[in-house]
Amino acid sequence: MFNVTKITIRRLVLISIVMTLISLFLMVASIIFPGPLLLVVAMSMGQALGIASLVLYLLAIALDLQGYGEHDELGNAGSAGSGTGAE
Amino acid sequence: MFQIHTTEDVLRLAALASAVIAIAILVYYLVARPPLGRSAKVVLLFGLGVMPLAVSLAGNISGFEYTLKTDFCGSCHVMRPYVEDAADPTSKSLASIHSRNSTFGHESCYTCHADYQIFGAMTTKANGMKHLYFYLTEYSNTGPYGEGGKPIHMYKKFQNTMCTRCHSTEAPRWGAVEDHAGLLEDLRKGEAKCIDCHTGDQIHPRAFAHGGTGKGVAAAGSAAPAHAGEK
Repeated sequence: MFNVTKITIRRLVLISIVMTLISLFLMVASIIFPGPLLLVVAMSMGQALGIASLVLYLLAIALDLQGYGEHDELGNAGSAGSGTGAE
Repeated sequence: MFQIHTTEDVLRLAALASAVIAIAILVYYLVARPPLGRSAKVVLLFGLGVMPLAVSLAGNISGFEYTLKTDFCGSCHVMRPYVEDAADPTSKSLASIHSRNSTFGHESCYTCHADYQIFGAMTTKANGMKHLYFYLTEYSNTGPYGEGGKPIHMYKKFQNTMCTRCHSTEAPRWGAVEDHAGLLEDLRKGEAKCIDCHTGDQIHPRAFAHGGTGKGVAAAGSAAPAHAGEK
């Protein structure tokens, strides 16, 4: 159903990183400027984003450990961009 | 800039340090784009999992602790009549007298208004969410002291436990007040309320709900009632 490649795994990790950075930004902002609205946003949206990003990362690792995309590594190497990652 | 005096400060510092480590790991990964090998996976697990969880945990605790403080309550402008009076060293209101207590004065709003059941902290914070909702929907465009907004009142009926948590009704000096002694059983049963005598205008005299003007000298009397038999 889904064509999981190394690039897919890589993108999952990147999305996870970006979501974590946003989550960290919200949480740090609420620590430095602890207003009511910011605290509520950080404790709800910030943490939801953080949990979702960790789940995405664990999914990416699980897919990687299952060996998804191993077969297309050589074929896609040219289009994968930097760091498409030989293990 | 950042001074450490309390456990809350330590937690804030721990949260910020964890955040810096996590951000450093993630930015390094974004910039260097190393292959997703075993070591990169472990390091990323720290950047994406362990450190953010530490930020979240320490941040939640320090955030919760901060929400207990009078400063936090005063960060909504409609609370200015309350917190400015509480912080006024010349005020004789009950809120101000209690706020001058060095043990809990910096948390006097929460100390008096929190629920004290087993899940009291949670129900109090759930009500705080309602405060935020009503603030945003009904009070955000009111005057600098909340002028023009509906008078603010408590969600729940006043309970004597708000006072008797500290004023146990057992102290001899408390019992020496004739009104206290005469109403002792009724007060303990909750049939007589503390606020029947210690009325709202004596607790928060600047509040619009109690006939105050929001700022300055209270419109109504601000001293505690002279009890019968009290010298």
